[in-house]
Amino acid sequence: MLMVIWSVVRLIFWMIVVPFFIGQLFNFILPKERKSVGFTYLLGLLIYLAVFEVMAIPCMLLIKYNAFRYCRWIYGVVSLVMAALGAFRFDRSLFAEKKSGFQNMKLDTKIYFGIYVALVLFQMIQSFRYAPFDGDDAYYVVQSLQAQQADVMSSIDPYLGRSAPLDVRHALAAITMWIAFIAKVSGVHATIVSHVVMPLFIIPLVYFVYYEIGKLLFKDKKELLPIFMIFINLLMIFGNVSISTPATFLLMRSGQGKTVLCGLVLPLIILVFLLMFEDVSKVKEQAAGFKEKAIVAAPWWIMLTLVNILGCACTELGVVLTGGLSALLTLILLIVSKRWTAILGAFASVIPSFIYVAIYFLVK
Amino acid sequence: MYGVFMECLVALKQFFGVYGDPAGDFKAYLYMTLFFAGVIYIIIRERDIARKLVFGIMPMVVILGFLFPMTRRIYVYRIDPPSGVTYYRILWMIPIYTVMGYAACLIISRIKRDRVKMAVMIAMVIAVALTGKFVYSNAYMKKAENIYHIPQNVIDICDVIAPKDGEPRVRAAFPSELCYFVRQYDTDIMMPFGRQYVEGQWNYSHPVYDAMEKPEVIDAQALLKATREDPDHSCRYIILKESRKIDKDLTTLGLKLVDTVDGYNIYEDLEVK
Repeated sequence: MLMVIWSVVRLIFWMIVVPFFIGQLFNFILPKERKSVGFTYLLGLLIYLAVFEVMAIPCMLLIKYNAFRYCRWIYGVVSLVMAALGAFRFDRSLFAEKKSGFQNMKLDTKIYFGIYVALVLFQMIQSFRYAPFDGDDAYYVVQSLQAQQADVMSSIDPYLGRSAPLDVRHALAAITMWIAFIAKVSGVHATIVSHVVMPLFIIPLVYFVYYEIGKLLFKDKKELLPIFMIFINLLMIFGNVSISTPATFLLMRSGQGKTVLCGLVLPLIILVFLLMFEDVSKVKEQAAGFKEKAIVAAPWWIMLTLVNILGCACTELGVVLTGGLSALLTLILLIVSKRWTAILGAFASVIPSFIYVAIYFLVK
Repeated sequence: MYGVFMECLVALKQFFGVYGDPAGDFKAYLYMTLFFAGVIYIIIRERDIARKLVFGIMPMVVILGFLFPMTRRIYVYRIDPPSGVTYYRILWMIPIYTVMGYAACLIISRIKRDRVKMAVMIAMVIAVALTGKFVYSNAYMKKAENIYHIPQNVIDICDVIAPKDGEPRVRAAFPSELCYFVRQYDTDIMMPFGRQYVEGQWNYSHPVYDAMEKPEVIDAQALLKATREDPDHSCRYIILKESRKIDKDLTTLGLKLVDTVDGYNIYEDLEVK
């Protein structure tokens, strides 16, 4: 029992505490009004995952034996250093109580909030109780387990267990290796991390992103926010209309990179652009030059860059879908803001994707 | 080009769960209609230009792009050759749930009287529940048997054959229904064939799979020949369902029945180390 508790503590440390402190280190980029616990954590998590992608790919390509051991150590140390520095920048005001909002709510709004939270908890409990079958797990979960048990990074055929040339198409999407990292540092079997821990981690995170989207959409009609979230939850729970929907992926294949892409990354891109649309007038109000305007706009372009890196880390298709969606939304931003500099931001945000594609073709 | 367009249209419908005609697949058509109604409502009613573009116009643009034959051609040839089975994933760029949820809230927000508002909300919830499909009733949703979320019989069998610390890895031939899970539990167990031989899409062939899984009655001699054929990849263990038909008992051919676990016989080939 003590071992289980110790593993849970380590899971919380590596999946919640470390990313949050990394967020603390870098949350100076966020505008004051967006500096919340949630956004700080989200920023930290995106940086945490982006750093892993950047470190895992060279380890995978350049180190022949025990690649995962080197990757784990380097990444672990870098993450801990960033988190420690972030801990020094601990900002207590983030946790300052904002009771007034909830206390001033009407009773029915409170009840709707309660239903929303209950629905999220229901899905989390169900993810623990149910074990949906998916054939792809025989590939992705085993890649993580092989890294944990044999210190290899995609150099063994997961189906058969014999040595195999690097499958670059899947290997560059390093999220399976990140899961292996979490498994190794927490001492939990990688299959348990993929099948049990990841859903408990991803489901609330996805709803947090939708919640932030809802906050922007209903900033003038706050009483509609919990109703919107109830609809989102129900659409997910009753979204198994085919095997292809994001809802099916979220609740049946929660631990896979594809799920993180369609459930988290793509809604995150929508969120980032909604935040940019919010700031359009603020950027215009900046009477000063390019630099001042860039200071207002830069945080979201940085966030978008990190989201695009996460898209690449999820699946090779992430490059196409994050790039495509970013391009469409940039076009809308151009129409709304009439600011050509948006193209510069958009271009900068997809540079990691170009590098990813270049590595793909070089190694292939 | 028309043929490719029709393929795209079918893929779009299937994404929303439409596989048959409107009469047979009424619920799925209704679900798809709800989505498009939401999109159109946002286009008509939304005053904020950015939101109108993101949740109204953009979904339509993505769908038109999805139906455009050249998009599919590029996808199939450049992104996911040779068949483009993942083409539907382009539709992930549409924020479907945000669109539907937002449209529902826009409608609710326009209603003044609380009782009517509540009634409309309940009607919408019922519409979502009736036109959608409850994910936990999916045939592939099984109650978890253990914390690993893999079948318990796989764990029990693997615990019998797994090498001890310091011992070399072992190779075992498992029946198709188990081979998905074996290496999710223990990667020290290798297999002669795995998922890519079981599922038809890869068209792979392996002598052990052919001898063990294809015939109605296993030819024991042929199976042993296959599992011993390649000295570098020979199988130390063969796992067969107790009820599996086989022309000769494997123990009469020199194999040892190590154990019977959860209805599966575990044979050890003593000639293979």
